[in-house]
Amino acid sequence: MAKNKKSQAASIRFGPALAASFVCLVIAGAAVGYVWQKGQVIQLGKQYRIAESKLAQLRDDNESMAKTLADMKSPLRLDQRVQELRLGLIPARPSQVFRMPEPMTQENNNLPRQFAARPNQETTQ
Amino acid sequence: MKSRAQLVYRALVLLALVLLAFAGLGFRLVDLQVWRHDELSARAEANTQRRFWQTARRGDILDANGNLLATSVPAETVCADPFLINGQQSLVARTIAPLLQMDENEVFQRLQPRLYKNSKGEVCTNRYVVLQRKVPEDAWLKIRAAMTNLSVAVDESRMTKAERKEFRNFVFCLKQYSVFAEPDELRVYPNGALAAHVLGFVGTRQTNNTSELFGYDGIERFFDSKLSGASGWRVTGVDSHKHELVQLRDQDVGARDGLSVQLTIDIAIQHIVEEALANAYREHSPQGISAIVLRPKTGEILAMSSLPNFDPNNLQTITTNNEANVCISRLYEPGSTFKTIVISGALNEHIVSLNDTVFCENGAFHYGGIVLHDAEHDHFGNLTVQQVLQKSSNIGASKIGIKMGPEKLYDYMTDFGLGEFTGIPLPGEVSAHQFVRPPRDANGKPIWGKYSIAQIPMGQGVAVTRLQIAMAVAAIANGGVLMRPMLVKSLRDSDGNVVEKYEPQAVRRVITPETAHEMVEALKTVVTPDGTAPKAALTNYTVAGKTGTAQKVVNGTYANDKFVVTFIGFFPADNPELLIAVVMDAPKEGGHAFGGALCGPVFHEIAERCASYLNIPPDNLPKQETMQVAGNAQ
Repeated sequence: MAKNKKSQAASIRFGPALAASFVCLVIAGAAVGYVWQKGQVIQLGKQYRIAESKLAQLRDDNESMAKTLADMKSPLRLDQRVQELRLGLIPARPSQVFRMPEPMTQENNNLPRQFAARPNQETTQ
Repeated sequence: MKSRAQLVYRALVLLALVLLAFAGLGFRLVDLQVWRHDELSARAEANTQRRFWQTARRGDILDANGNLLATSVPAETVCADPFLINGQQSLVARTIAPLLQMDENEVFQRLQPRLYKNSKGEVCTNRYVVLQRKVPEDAWLKIRAAMTNLSVAVDESRMTKAERKEFRNFVFCLKQYSVFAEPDELRVYPNGALAAHVLGFVGTRQTNNTSELFGYDGIERFFDSKLSGASGWRVTGVDSHKHELVQLRDQDVGARDGLSVQLTIDIAIQHIVEEALANAYREHSPQGISAIVLRPKTGEILAMSSLPNFDPNNLQTITTNNEANVCISRLYEPGSTFKTIVISGALNEHIVSLNDTVFCENGAFHYGGIVLHDAEHDHFGNLTVQQVLQKSSNIGASKIGIKMGPEKLYDYMTDFGLGEFTGIPLPGEVSAHQFVRPPRDANGKPIWGKYSIAQIPMGQGVAVTRLQIAMAVAAIANGGVLMRPMLVKSLRDSDGNVVEKYEPQAVRRVITPETAHEMVEALKTVVTPDGTAPKAALTNYTVAGKTGTAQKVVNGTYANDKFVVTFIGFFPADNPELLIAVVMDAPKEGGHAFGGALCGPVFHEIAERCASYLNIPPDNLPKQETMQVAGNAQ
C-alpha cells in the first residue's frame, strides 16, 4: 500500500508541474507573439507610410510630366519650333490629298468619323 | 517591553496612514479618471492625435482630342516659424526672398515675431506665417537647399560649452524647421492665352486651414462643382516627432478628385483662329475682334475666341477691357447678317420667292418720315430677293420685312433664338431679351417703334450676341433646324472613364428644309464677284455666307466713322462641315469698313487652314486639279 501511495503522489506532482509549465509557455508565447505582432504592425505601418508617400510622389511626377507633355504639344510651341528649325511646313492643298474609298463594313460604320456627319435631329416642337 | 495595547495602537495608526494614502490615491484616481476625464482625455488626444485634411485634385479641362487645356500641378505653400528664426529674420529674408520672387523687406516684415494672448490669457509668439502660396516644386527645392546651406556668422570660441550646445541646436532648428512647406495646388494653362475666354481662370479661397482653388470665370466657373471634387480627412496618431503612426489611424476618408471636363473645342482649330484674329488685329487695329467656329449639324463649338484677351496663368494680365467673353456677353447690332433671318422667314411663309422683284428706290426710301439708304455707293433699282441678299440691299430687306409684318418677323426672330439664352455652358451669357421682345398691346400684339419694322430687317434697332446670330445662320446651314451650342463633350473621372456624355441637342425646326435649301443657294451668291464678300470665297469649296456692316451707336446716335463689321459663312455650302463667324468692332478703316472686305479674308484664312486640318473633302476642285488627282490615281 505504502509503495502505491508513494508512486501515486509522485505522479500527481509531475502532472501539475507539466501543466503549469505548459500554461507558462503558452502565456510566454502569447506575450512574445503579441509583442512580435505589435512590432510587425509598426513595421508594416512604416512600410505603408513609405509606400503611400512614394505613390503620392509618383502621382505628382505624373502630373508634372503630363503638364510638360502638354507644353510640348502646344500648337504655339510647335509653330515656334517649326519656324526655329526652318522646316517650311505648310498644309497640304486639297488637290494633293488622294482619298481611298473605304469599304463599308459593319466595323467601319461603328468607327467615329473625322468630320461632323451626325444625322439631323429634329424636335417634336 | 511595550504593552500589547501599544502595539495594537501603532498597528492601527500605520493602517490608518496606509488607508489614508490609499484614499488619497483613490481620490486622485477618481479626480483624473472621472471628474476631469473629458478635459484630460481631450488633452491626451491633442498630444497624440492629428487631423489631416486631404485636398482633392481639381479636374483637368481637355480639348476634343484629349489635349490638356488646363491642369493642376503640385505646388507648395511656403510658411515660416518666426519663433525659431529668433533674431535671424534679416538673414533668412535675404536668402529666400529672391527665390520666392518677393520683396526682401516684405519677407522680413512677415518673419517678425508677433505676440498675442491665447485663450488662457498667456502671452505667446506666433509660430506660423504664410510667406508665399503656389510656389512651384523646383523653387521650393531651391529654398530648401538655401536654408540648409545657411551660414550664421557667430564666434563660438567665447561661448561656454552649454551655450555652444544651445547655439548649435538653434542653428539646426533654424536650418531644418524654421521655413517649411505645405502641399498646395497650382492651376496651369499649358497653352497660355489660347481659349482663355472659354476656359476662364481660378481664384483661391481658404477652407479647413488649406487653400482651395475655385472657378472664377469661364468653364472653370460653370463646372466648378464638378472640377473641384470633395476634400477628405484623416484622424490619426502621431509620435513625439509628429510622424504619423499608421496603425493608429482612426477616420480615413480619402479625397475624391474632381472630374475632368472634355470640351468640343479643338486646340489646333482654336490656334488657327487666334492666329488669324491676331493678324487681322494687327492690320486693322479694331477695338476688338472675335470669331466662332462651329459644326452646324451638331452645334459643337470647335473654337471661340476674342481679342484682346489675357493669359490665365498670369492674373495680372486681366483687365476690364479684356476680361469678358464678348461672343456671349456683349450685344451688338448685327447689320446685314440679320437679313438672313428676315428673308428666311419671308420665304418660309411664301410671302416672297427668290425670283420676286423688289424695287429698291434707287438708294433712298422714305418711310414714316425718315429716309433709309443703301450702302454709300449703291443706288439699286429693281432687285430680285436673291439679289437683295447678294448685294445686301437695306431697302430691299426693309420692304420684305414690311411685307412680312411685325408679328411674323418677331416670331421668326424668336424662333431663330434671338432674345433668348442659347444655353451654352458658360457664365455671363446675355439674352438681349429687351432688345428683341417688343412691348405688347392689350391683344398681345407687339408694339414696335414707328420705324422699327423698316429698320429691324436691315439689322438696325435690334441687338444680338455674336453666338446668337452665328447659331441662327447655322440653323439655315443645318436644313432649318436650330441646334443648341455644344461646348462640353463629356465629364471624365481621374481614370479617364466617361461619367457623363453630352449629345447634340436640336432646339426646334425654324424653317422647312426647302426654304433652307433656297437660302443656301442665295447665300452662295454673296461670295461671288458680284456679291459683297468675294474675298471670302475658297478655291476648293463652295461657300455660302452673309456680310454685315453696322453703324455703332455713340452717345445715343449712329456714328458715321465707327462700324461693327461681320462675315458669317459656312462650307461646303450644300453639306456644311464648318460655320465660321468673324466680327470686327470699330476697325481703323472707320466709314470705309465693310464686312466682306475686312472679315471676308479672315474667314478665308481660317476656313482654308481648318479644311486642311480636318481633311474636309473638297466639293469644288478646279478642273486641272481634278484631272491631276485622277492621274495620280491611275
